[in-house]
Amino acid sequence: MIFSQMFDMLDVGIVILDSELNVFKWNRWMATHSKLPPEKIVGKSLFEFYPDLNTPWFLRNCKSVFTFGNFAFFSQKLHKYCFPFKAYNTLGSDFEFMQQSCTVGPLRDENNRITYIYITVQDVTEVAAYENKLITMNTRDGLTGIFNRRYLEAKLKEEFDRHIRYNRPLSLIMLDIDHFKKINDTHGHQAGDFILKSLATTIDERIRAVDIVARYGGEEFCVLLPETTSESALALAEFLRMGIEAEIYHFKDKSIKITISQGVSDLSDGVDSAEALLKKADDGLYESKRLGRNKVSMISNKKKVQ
Amino acid sequence: MINTILIVDDSPVARRMLKTCIPKDKGYEIFEAGNGQEGFEKYKELHPDIVFMDLTMPVMDGYQATAKIKEFDKEAIVIVTTADIQPKSIASVMELGAFTLLKKPAKTESIQEAISKVEIKMKKLQEK
Amino acid sequence: MNQEASINFSEDEKDILQEIMNIAFGNATADLAEVVDIYVMLSIPNIQVIGIGELPFYLKDTIKDDGESSIVEQKFWGNFKGSGLLVFPSGSGKDLLAFLDDRADYHHEGTAAATLEKGGLLEIGNILIGACVGKVSELLSTFVTYSPPQVLQGKSSDYNYLIEHFDPLQTAIVMKTIFTFKEKDINGFLLILTNHESIDWLRKALHEFMGTYE
Repeated sequence: MIFSQMFDMLDVGIVILDSELNVFKWNRWMATHSKLPPEKIVGKSLFEFYPDLNTPWFLRNCKSVFTFGNFAFFSQKLHKYCFPFKAYNTLGSDFEFMQQSCTVGPLRDENNRITYIYITVQDVTEVAAYENKLITMNTRDGLTGIFNRRYLEAKLKEEFDRHIRYNRPLSLIMLDIDHFKKINDTHGHQAGDFILKSLATTIDERIRAVDIVARYGGEEFCVLLPETTSESALALAEFLRMGIEAEIYHFKDKSIKITISQGVSDLSDGVDSAEALLKKADDGLYESKRLGRNKVSMISNKKKVQ
Repeated sequence: MINTILIVDDSPVARRMLKTCIPKDKGYEIFEAGNGQEGFEKYKELHPDIVFMDLTMPVMDGYQATAKIKEFDKEAIVIVTTADIQPKSIASVMELGAFTLLKKPAKTESIQEAISKVEIKMKKLQEK
Repeated sequence: MNQEASINFSEDEKDILQEIMNIAFGNATADLAEVVDIYVMLSIPNIQVIGIGELPFYLKDTIKDDGESSIVEQKFWGNFKGSGLLVFPSGSGKDLLAFLDDRADYHHEGTAAATLEKGGLLEIGNILIGACVGKVSELLSTFVTYSPPQVLQGKSSDYNYLIEHFDPLQTAIVMKTIFTFKEKDINGFLLILTNHESIDWLRKALHEFMGTYE
């Protein structure tokens, strides 16, 4: 009596399925969130109500539980959810569906044969929302909202390995605002911050979704360009240079114009590590500064291009 | 009539398990071999009525030993015992001319059933 | 085998355990073919009884990690208690994903490739470890409960963290099997580690198992 009460009292969804994956039990939590009372779903195929679960991975895992008596885990990270239930807006999260962590396990009869399996469904929306916030805080630059240096370096390593393995082109632009100190000195730090934010937006609007723009240091930015040859990267850098040169930034009653110096690098010339790729772009940037700023350079075999 | 049985398995424990599944009241004489090579030698020497043959063994595995025994005596009755029963392994073992295939761990019922099937076959052969 | 372990575990018991493992892993191979669409072959397991303290060295020797192998670990508990470790050699992680060729079914776009890859490893690990541990448990008339598997990203040169929940003075049984995904030419190995607590129970269970044959 007490035990059967547990089934409906727990703040966890519990479903019991038979070997044909028909619903045998459907607890109150499931009924509440699915808006399907037990009498509507019990005895029917789970897939009649949740056709999206009729997939090889779900079937494979259920079969494994029936065959080996092991457990199957459907994590929120990978699956987001198994049952599409509406999410309650906790923590201001923007999840449309309740994020779930689901476990499938075996139930044995008196002869130790696995005759049923259970699925437990836990609402982890709040945890997932919190985690998303943490990830944002950890990967984004607080001022500009674009990625931070830590994220760039991790991505750079990842993309470098991937591009080397598949022998694909990869390029990087490193850029720096010319005479940024002067902007701060003349217009104040608030104006400087405004310029940093505006420049981040300007760049972000001009690159593809797969490209990664990050604030690398004070007024230094990096743009990582997967599947991009140095020719295309140089063209993009030039496009950015002209665009920014032409732009007039308005802060309060002031009109501010800036220029940027850039260095471009790719995987040629013995670039054998993510660090070397960065170094090569940095060398290019230094060359642009040396040539009088508002330039794009790429150091190739100690010879400059453009 | 079945008089002699040969068990070929590299594991002494497996041989022990199989032996206990063979009826004791019939007076069968049971011989053992620890690998396929030894099994084949003993077959040539003893001409047992039934061979229980494991598949995975050192020196010579059960596939090879079954093939050699069937080559030597095409009437030989080889019952393959294996834990890994799959359509693939069943097909290849039957192709070699095995009498049947039994799943490990050995179960008294299935061993006895196989033995009585052999008895029926031998009777039919005698009647011919 | 160290001294203490040999006191605890007789040759006869080792033989019984070996045969149970042969059967269990053979059964697991057969049943895996039903569960996953690919022929996974499990080799005859090699059983070693070693001191817990030696375990990190054993793992270091066995895994021969060059920093890129992927390891999935899963704990299981019950009378039979321990950890399963699945080790894929370097570089096979990505090819392995092709085996679960229904990844597109993960019905949410924008899931990072790395997450998918990790998910694939976890799923394969969960099934292979579950198959082997499950079959051993079945033969020994018990059942176990599993914790979620995890992809280990500890320092590859240091396996000490794996034995944190073991008493260093105790012994462990290591069952090692090599698995091969036939059509995909991928292979790696699976270790099942059980600790001292389980050994006493295991000895009893082995005798009970053989008891049905006497």
